[in-house]
Amino acid sequence: MTVERSADVSSAALGTQPRSVACQCRNASVDLGSRAGPRRILGDINFDLHEGEFVAILGRSGSGKTTLLRVLGGLVDPTPESVVTFHGRPVAGPPQDVVFVFQNYAASLLPWRTVHNNVALGLEGKVPVAVKRARISESLATVGLEARAADYPWQLSGGMQQRVQLARSLAMRPRGLLMDEPFGSLDAMTKASLQDQLQQVHQHTGATIAFVTHDIDEAVFLSDRILVLDGSPATIAHEIPVELPRPRDQLATKELPEFLRLRRQVYDAIVETGD
Amino acid sequence: MTSATAVLRRTNVLGVATMLLLLGAWELLIRVGLLDFQNLPAPSAVAARAQQLLASGELMTNLLHTLRVTLLGWVLASVIGIGLGLVLGLWRPAWRWSMASFELLRAVPPISLVPLALLVFGFSVRTELTLIVYASAWPVLVNTIEGVRTVRPELRDVARTLHLSRRETLLKLTLPAAMPSIVVGLQLGLSLALVLAVVAELVGNPSGLGNALILAQLALRPEEMFAYVFTIGLLGIALNAAFRQIVAWTLTSAKPLPGKVS
Ligand SMILES: Nc1ncnc2c1ncn2[C@@H]1O[C@H](COP(=O)(O)OP(=O)(O)OP(=O)(O)O)[C@@H](O)[C@H]1O
Ligand SMILES: [Mg+2]
Repeated sequence: MTVERSADVSSAALGTQPRSVACQCRNASVDLGSRAGPRRILGDINFDLHEGEFVAILGRSGSGKTTLLRVLGGLVDPTPESVVTFHGRPVAGPPQDVVFVFQNYAASLLPWRTVHNNVALGLEGKVPVAVKRARISESLATVGLEARAADYPWQLSGGMQQRVQLARSLAMRPRGLLMDEPFGSLDAMTKASLQDQLQQVHQHTGATIAFVTHDIDEAVFLSDRILVLDGSPATIAHEIPVELPRPRDQLATKELPEFLRLRRQVYDAIVETGD
Repeated sequence: MTSATAVLRRTNVLGVATMLLLLGAWELLIRVGLLDFQNLPAPSAVAARAQQLLASGELMTNLLHTLRVTLLGWVLASVIGIGLGLVLGLWRPAWRWSMASFELLRAVPPISLVPLALLVFGFSVRTELTLIVYASAWPVLVNTIEGVRTVRPELRDVARTLHLSRRETLLKLTLPAAMPSIVVGLQLGLSLALVLAVVAELVGNPSGLGNALILAQLALRPEEMFAYVFTIGLLGIALNAAFRQIVAWTLTSAKPLPGKVS
């Protein structure tokens, strides 16, 4: 469970209470091919994710947020000199116990499988059938979709489909969740209710969550810390701790002066990156 | 809803009416002598001849032969086409090595290989099967390659983040995602299989509907020729309908696709 290496170093540097490091990024750079040859998208990214921490990643469009998350999820290879570890092991391919939640939920669900069988996808052949069933109903209940288990994804609304993807990820019992703008294309009401559900999941499972978003309110509302990406190649331009009391409430929390102050601070940080 | 109304609803009433009307016109034109070719029989004469052929069992024997070779050849072609298509579609080196040869072979119309097959295999069912398999493997192959190539990259990422093995990825994601395209290939292949079966029987294999058609021509029996031509047409329609029905059943139950719960 615990990671021995460098947990003390980073927590001391960040001034937080000592928590073990779930994910480590040291001098992580990424080159991606373009027509003019490889281009450096990310340059020298350094940060840690602590066990159970909720970190939001912000940055303007095209700044490299998705790329960074894909590196953590083992879906994109960083340059050889980069050091990226998850749960103490170097990331080479998707790490164990870490699940990526994709922005494009419609393309990530299998239209020929029912909701139940979509959620089953990662468990099949890996756990006993009874365990699998139990985990599926449990995770469907968590996102409030037990009643729709027999439906097909295309019979559900967008928000429901994203909840199916969330349930599929939760059924894996991940210790780490990497979420790429999961609520980006949803209306405000659905978004708020999914944020509440995600907050509960975070509280109950203690999972480490990295969450990419465009939405400043969402970032402040959900996270313990906000990273702002900027530059070309992108680095972490700002790191803003969020110390709002939990559990957070859609109305009460968002009326706290501290919330408004943080919101302002993050906004300024992003605007500043424009120059 | 009763089954009678269901059948009625699915039948193209106007289409059938048009067909009957055309047949009626044909019959009439011959009766009044407006259509006066030496060897053009009236539909009634064709029907009478078909009746005789049915009664003697001749038509059934020929029909069964053609049906059997068509299906056998098509199944073989489908296995080859899907198997090869998966390899070529999923494994880049295979594609690079063989693409030129395939493009060349594909440019050759299968019918032009009929004389060659005859020379190699003689007047036999082997000639027929070879031609069917060769011709109908193409659309299956091409559509399988196309199908697995166009699987959305998001699905591969899903497979990776959920730690699916290569085999699971193939069976649970790639194949089902490519299935619509493969089904199109299978259907084209089935139509081609029947075409090639008849062609092979016309020129080579001494049995089946195509052969019966040629014999009727040599014997100067136009009613019999028409009877066989219609039989071939009906067989084509029946094969197509059966194929569609099977696909529909498979897709609505959604279970026979390799997505079932293990
Ligand atoms: N597969 C790829 N090949 C080459 N370049 C890529 C690839 N994917 C992304 N890029 C480039 O990398 C940069 C960062 O892209 P990325 O998708 O990470 O941005 P983002 O911050 O997630 O943007 P958005 O907020 O719009 O989702 C962009 O300039 C993009 O053009
Ligand atoms: Mg993105």
